[in-house]
Amino acid sequence: MATPDEHADAEGLMGEHAEKEHADFKARVKRTIYIDHLSPVVSRQVIRAALSQCANVVSVEFIENYTIPYDIPAAALVELDDESQAKSAVDLMRDFPFIIGGMPRPVRASLARPEMFADRPSLPGSKMEFLWLKQGDPEYDGMSKLKSLAKRQEAENMALIKSILEEEKELAAQQQIMLDANYYKYDLLESIVQNGTIKNLAGHYRVNLFDS
Amino acid sequence: MGESNENIQFSWGKKRAKGGAKMDTQFYGSFTFDNVKYSLYDCVYLFKNGESEPYIGKIVKIWQQNEAKKVKILWFFTPDEIRNYLRGSVAENEIFLASGDGTGLADINPLESIAGKCTVVCISKDERNRQPTPKEQTVADYIFYRFFDVGNCTLSEQVPEKIAGLEVNVLLNPKDEQVICYPDQDAQGMDQKVGAGLVAPLPQSAAKMEDEIPVAPLPQSAAKMEDEIPVAAVPLSQSVAISLPPSVKEVDKAQVAAVPLPLGVEEDVPKPTQKVFKRTQSTQKVLSDKMPSKKLKLSQDLTMKNMPSKKLKLSQDLTTQSMAPVPDVKVRSVPLAQLPTRQADRSKWFKPQPWHEKLAQADKEGRLVYIQNLDIRFGASEIVELIREALQLSCTAKPINHPTYDDPNNGKAYVVFNSRNIADEAVMKINSGLVVGGRPLYCSKGLLKVPKPASGALVGHLTISNQKMNPRQREEQKKAVSTSHCSQPNTIEYDLALDWMLVREKQAMKFSILHKRHAGERKSFAAKMAQ
Repeated sequence: MATPDEHADAEGLMGEHAEKEHADFKARVKRTIYIDHLSPVVSRQVIRAALSQCANVVSVEFIENYTIPYDIPAAALVELDDESQAKSAVDLMRDFPFIIGGMPRPVRASLARPEMFADRPSLPGSKMEFLWLKQGDPEYDGMSKLKSLAKRQEAENMALIKSILEEEKELAAQQQIMLDANYYKYDLLESIVQNGTIKNLAGHYRVNLFDS
Repeated sequence: MGESNENIQFSWGKKRAKGGAKMDTQFYGSFTFDNVKYSLYDCVYLFKNGESEPYIGKIVKIWQQNEAKKVKILWFFTPDEIRNYLRGSVAENEIFLASGDGTGLADINPLESIAGKCTVVCISKDERNRQPTPKEQTVADYIFYRFFDVGNCTLSEQVPEKIAGLEVNVLLNPKDEQVICYPDQDAQGMDQKVGAGLVAPLPQSAAKMEDEIPVAPLPQSAAKMEDEIPVAAVPLSQSVAISLPPSVKEVDKAQVAAVPLPLGVEEDVPKPTQKVFKRTQSTQKVLSDKMPSKKLKLSQDLTMKNMPSKKLKLSQDLTTQSMAPVPDVKVRSVPLAQLPTRQADRSKWFKPQPWHEKLAQADKEGRLVYIQNLDIRFGASEIVELIREALQLSCTAKPINHPTYDDPNNGKAYVVFNSRNIADEAVMKINSGLVVGGRPLYCSKGLLKVPKPASGALVGHLTISNQKMNPRQREEQKKAVSTSHCSQPNTIEYDLALDWMLVREKQAMKFSILHKRHAGERKSFAAKMAQ
């Protein structure tokens, strides 16, 4: 049987290991940024190249969608060299519309948080508290109600997601119309300059084309 | 005297006479090539470049002159090759020994062109031919009793006196029964002398035996002993090769067929002659790797002596027997280079599956559980620990919240159990009332339905239709996907981009308000309950 001392030592060692793992993880979180509103066609290389002006990309991990039953933009956790690079990247993308792989919808970047990482290590020293309730226990009813509350909140969240996705679609459609109209206008202008119609028009309206 | 030839193992066996004009030629009675022992009068396969079917021949002379190792091969003909002269019925695995004089009787080939050994049994009723035992006949790769005279192009059952200058005795069945029987019968079939040599590493004992043998012509018994020892002591693959000829034949063919033929054609003599190419190491190695499949075959019908006619019906048979490793051989019709990767392939068998595959698999088997309302800070290891402590079950877990959209008040995870029953049990238990850190968990089985990841452009990435562009511009636009930039204020794009940023800010605000509200609701509820 191991002596209490040995036990403590063993635990201490394990605890140390967990602490170190956690410290490493925290450092990693600090230098990672979370990019979303990302186009699905954007690849790692593109992200790397995009950020190269202000940061060196160490790794890119795309977030997989397991839970949202709608078509959502891509997202990625991008690990950079250090915290300052992460900060500057986030600032850049907040101050200017940063566009990657398609226009005009820009990406959004924020500092990463621990819960974004699917492979996060356990918190050292945390205790798992749990209890079993069954019907008849005094708190059972309360917990059931809490469960329903959680489910309702889930539904609300999903509804919100749905509505913002639709809003985005509408915006995109609007913008497309506006873009097409603008393009048409400029195209028109260009063609009349090219084929000389503009000279006729100028003559007709007695306007000087060139300031002389 | 061992040499390595392109890294294929080789060593000479028993020496015989010396000869040649300048006495520079050394004749041998046996050699070991790629860990297979070949002796005079053994039957072997040789491959011709580009052909899938090997030729079969009998080694009648072995020598080395200067640096070159050569063998003289007396050919067997397959029914196909002498179709025009065939009369009467032909057995599935029947072949015909060349006789007479002329081209096509025998050829000299480099030793390295030998691709493998095979068993050919003579079933001629001639008195000079030792009648084979039924067992020998069944396990033989091929049988023959007829001779094809290459000079007259005639087929005959009559055993000629001499072929290629050799007494026909040596070309018929060896006097002692070959140990082509199952391993457990090895002991019985063997000679005392041989038995002694059995256990010892064969080169020595074989050498000893051979010394007692007069040089030429080798009495059959001696030749036999040489063979028997190797048969017993030689690497697994070889002995199995002999004891399970049917399967070997198949497998051999498999490798032999799959092994591609880089080669060195030596003689340019018609027909049976261009039969050479380097055998690759893969043949032998693959042989040993095929062990499991051979055992499998063994248990199947042994009267599969109806060796599929040497068309690559081989491949069909292999697949019908669903021997897992074997079909690979067909695919692997690339030589040597493949060999090293066999090891690499094995490692893939144990590589962890990517998550989405794991989940899909688990879902199919009903082992996947979707748990909600966890604390969002729980990592995979915490969830696994929770399940272990609360349910005494082992599992793997993966937290799956989407950082942009999912409510951080409600942590979600997939948990994979070891069996469907366990998963069902877990679901029932958890739903009945497991509370973790004040949060009642709830769960269900199965994967959530999510749309396949979009492959098209993002909503909001606009394109201009009807755009008149010259080809160069179009190319550039295609490349635009791989570019990025900060939008400058003097463009239309800038305005549009700003629109998006505005919308996004609003969205972020909406989420934040909602999630905060949720958190508040939960807190107040918990507080109320505590009263």
